[in-house]
Amino acid sequence: MALFITTLQHCGLYAGFELRRLWLTRRGLMTLAATAVLWFFLLRYAIAPASDLIASEGFQQMFRDAFGAFGLSQLFAWPAPELAIYWILSLMLLPLLCLFFTANQLCSDLQRGTLRLLALRSSRLSIVLGRFSGQMLVQSCLILLSLVATLSLAAWREGGLTLAMLNAAAVIAVNLLLVLLPFTALMSCFSAMVRSSRLAVSLAIVSLGLVFVLLSSFVFYFPDFLFLLGYMPGTQVMQLLPMQGWQTLQYALLPLLQTLVLLSGATLLLTRKAL
Amino acid sequence: MNAIIQCQQLAKRFGSKTVLQQLSFELQQGDVAALIGPNGAGKTTLFSILCGYLRPDSGNASIFGHKAGSSALFGKVAALPQDAQFDPAFSIGEQLDFYGRLQGLSSKAAREESKRVLALVDLTEQLQHKAGALSHGMRKRAAIAQAFIGTPRLVLLDEPTAGLDPVNALHIRQLISRLSGEVSFMISSHNIFELEQLCNKVLYLENGQLKQHSSSDTTTQQLQYLTLQLEQDNSEAISAALRQLPGLIDLHCAQRRELVLSYNPQHNADFDLAVLQCLAANGWRYRNLTKGQTLEQKLFNPA
Repeated sequence: MALFITTLQHCGLYAGFELRRLWLTRRGLMTLAATAVLWFFLLRYAIAPASDLIASEGFQQMFRDAFGAFGLSQLFAWPAPELAIYWILSLMLLPLLCLFFTANQLCSDLQRGTLRLLALRSSRLSIVLGRFSGQMLVQSCLILLSLVATLSLAAWREGGLTLAMLNAAAVIAVNLLLVLLPFTALMSCFSAMVRSSRLAVSLAIVSLGLVFVLLSSFVFYFPDFLFLLGYMPGTQVMQLLPMQGWQTLQYALLPLLQTLVLLSGATLLLTRKAL
Repeated sequence: MNAIIQCQQLAKRFGSKTVLQQLSFELQQGDVAALIGPNGAGKTTLFSILCGYLRPDSGNASIFGHKAGSSALFGKVAALPQDAQFDPAFSIGEQLDFYGRLQGLSSKAAREESKRVLALVDLTEQLQHKAGALSHGMRKRAAIAQAFIGTPRLVLLDEPTAGLDPVNALHIRQLISRLSGEVSFMISSHNIFELEQLCNKVLYLENGQLKQHSSSDTTTQQLQYLTLQLEQDNSEAISAALRQLPGLIDLHCAQRRELVLSYNPQHNADFDLAVLQCLAANGWRYRNLTKGQTLEQKLFNPA
């Protein structure tokens, strides 16, 4: 029990330290600046013009005729078109960006030997979980900031904020975090394996691609195993796209289980690794 | 006696290279142990196993009765690992605070502890500076400081004074000397004179095997040593005169202007006085007369 409490305390300390890295260090502020610039361009040149287009009746009718069969016409049911566009863009973009943003959970510390100083004071499980939690907190901050900007845009166009918009924003935030969980845990694994964040990203992209190709080939010859493709990280994204509201949480179990498995793998890798 | 480190039949290989072979030894409470050996002897590997960074292929390493690297040892065992660097994004103070928090201190206590340990290595003014802004020697001292956070009972130091200027190396030696007794130390170094000053036990590793495991005092009631450093280079004449002294067992020239004399104190209790009188009678000047052999002589040039 005492070990469990200590592990939780250490996780909190590591996560807090990662938050400090985001808000109080030059590298963290650069990450914030890069995110701000990215979302400025997305809001200015994608979300704002697309929202105006989506708000027009003529476009909605044409879209329903063309994509209604795929369920995408549900996008018009969002309380603000800005949120609908944000939903699509972030679901497609953030998993990829997550691979880059969270690649350095352990690599640099392994390379510098800082992990040797940490491992004298906390278990490797605490280090993995703490760094993972820290990265999730950092991503929560970035998502919240971009959501606030999108809500501001919507409020400016609609002439005010509604409770439905805030509720939709909460749905988006929770779902995005759920989608990012397995990707962040995947990077925990790769950052525990190698001493360079670039190599960790490359390995993650190659591995995901390779697994997808191998599984697809396998499924081609054995179609009964098609369900295996559904266990790849992020496969629920396509199912989430046409959905909205809290019913989206029906897809929460898979990413949670994937995260559990991947974090166990990361802990095992780091525990067996020579520091 | 309480064994703080117990290693039994430790073995470690990296690929086809055997780094540690069936290594067994014990260290007792209060020991200051020197870990000596040539490059590639397995010193850092042994340190890494004791710190829990590496797993042995076979054998056991336990510290205070717990497996090396166990969570029960957090806060009790501290180390200066070789080449471990601080995170360059944060100040030294922030990182020491963080280590203190991990060891269970409150924020305020951790800050006080950071100041205390930085004062130990004369780095109080560097509290707010980032690791990247410090010189190599300062970073090394800060790394030593982190090993003294809290109340460790065993401190493992891998090359603690390598890269330090003489004054700071002296400060570190004084710090270790001051704390030894309440804290047990294991020190790996190539500076044999430093180890001689600090350590009461020697582990000599060679090719992954323990060649010697002894306390630093090897004298017996029948055999004692004197090391004589001369000012002039006429050791042959001096040797001839000293050989006439009663009680002398052996005399050899360890290096230029340095003689090592072994004698039986039961035959001549005042042998050291006799040596000084012999030198004075012949007008030969000496630089230093030390009781016992140097660690270097014991390890590499045993009489």
